[in-house]
Amino acid sequence: MSNNHDHSHEEHAEITHDEKPGYYEILEISIREILIEKQLIKAEEIRKQIEVLDSRSPVLGSKLVAKAWLDDAFRERLLADGNSAAEEMGITIYDDTAFTVLEDTETLHHMIVCTLCSCYPRAVLGLPPDWYKSKEYRIRAVHEPRAVLKEFGTVIPNSVQIQINDSTANQRYMVLPLRPKGSENFTIDQLEAIVTRDAMIGVALISL
Amino acid sequence: MSSENLVKRLPNDIAGTVCSDKINIVERSLYPWEKRCHALLDVLDYHKIVNTEEKRRGTESIGTEMAAKLSYYEKWIVSASNVLLQKGLISPNDIANKTKEVSDRYGVTL
Repeated sequence: MSNNHDHSHEEHAEITHDEKPGYYEILEISIREILIEKQLIKAEEIRKQIEVLDSRSPVLGSKLVAKAWLDDAFRERLLADGNSAAEEMGITIYDDTAFTVLEDTETLHHMIVCTLCSCYPRAVLGLPPDWYKSKEYRIRAVHEPRAVLKEFGTVIPNSVQIQINDSTANQRYMVLPLRPKGSENFTIDQLEAIVTRDAMIGVALISL
Repeated sequence: MSSENLVKRLPNDIAGTVCSDKINIVERSLYPWEKRCHALLDVLDYHKIVNTEEKRRGTESIGTEMAAKLSYYEKWIVSASNVLLQKGLISPNDIANKTKEVSDRYGVTL
């Protein structure tokens, strides 16, 4: 396990939240209610946005991957212009951010990070895991990726180059992982089912 | 160490700095308040009341001690509060009165 010392996110994770609200939750409730009372926002908007957040999950990204595996023309469009290809599948890349899909090959493996904050392709993967936002991942991914991958149980052979892609507010990335051997006769549903969020971030490979 | 290193690297520009800690690979879903906080900032951005850049700047200028000690969404709500105060959209009294009302509602002493 990790040997975080102070300022660890573990401390926050251990607090159970079926208890009374803490300082920050009270602040959140207060700010929200003040803004509603001042008619700057509506309660309904918050509710709807929570539904939008809940609707985004790695399932969306897996649909892009599975289709790219089966349809070469779509794959080319996806790699050339991720925003347009996502729109084809009914996924809106909001915020006007550029969305680029990076293809893994037999000799090149991609990893995604945001060293400055937590930029992540939320539109296709949902919310990022805590570790993606952690200082340990953000610091170490760019200069010791193989050691980081090993902590995820992922070993990339030395014959394969690893490219780390640093995301920004205006540029989000997703990995198009290698299609695993043995999946040649899979249906699109079966292919979608084997694509994992971690593979689309590049910290895991897809295996059957 | 010369102070210019502080200038060359903002507190959040940490890539490749010294870190030997393992990555804490745990999964947890957001607490309800965190999800509401995320939704709140999205709505504020949509209305251009606090846009994403302002929120980001707020979390980056929170100071190294808070940056280290507050969790991800704790930083967001503090940042949003600061930006709203700076813009004069809410007042310190608004916050004082409402947090008192909310904490009384839950039987919590702040």
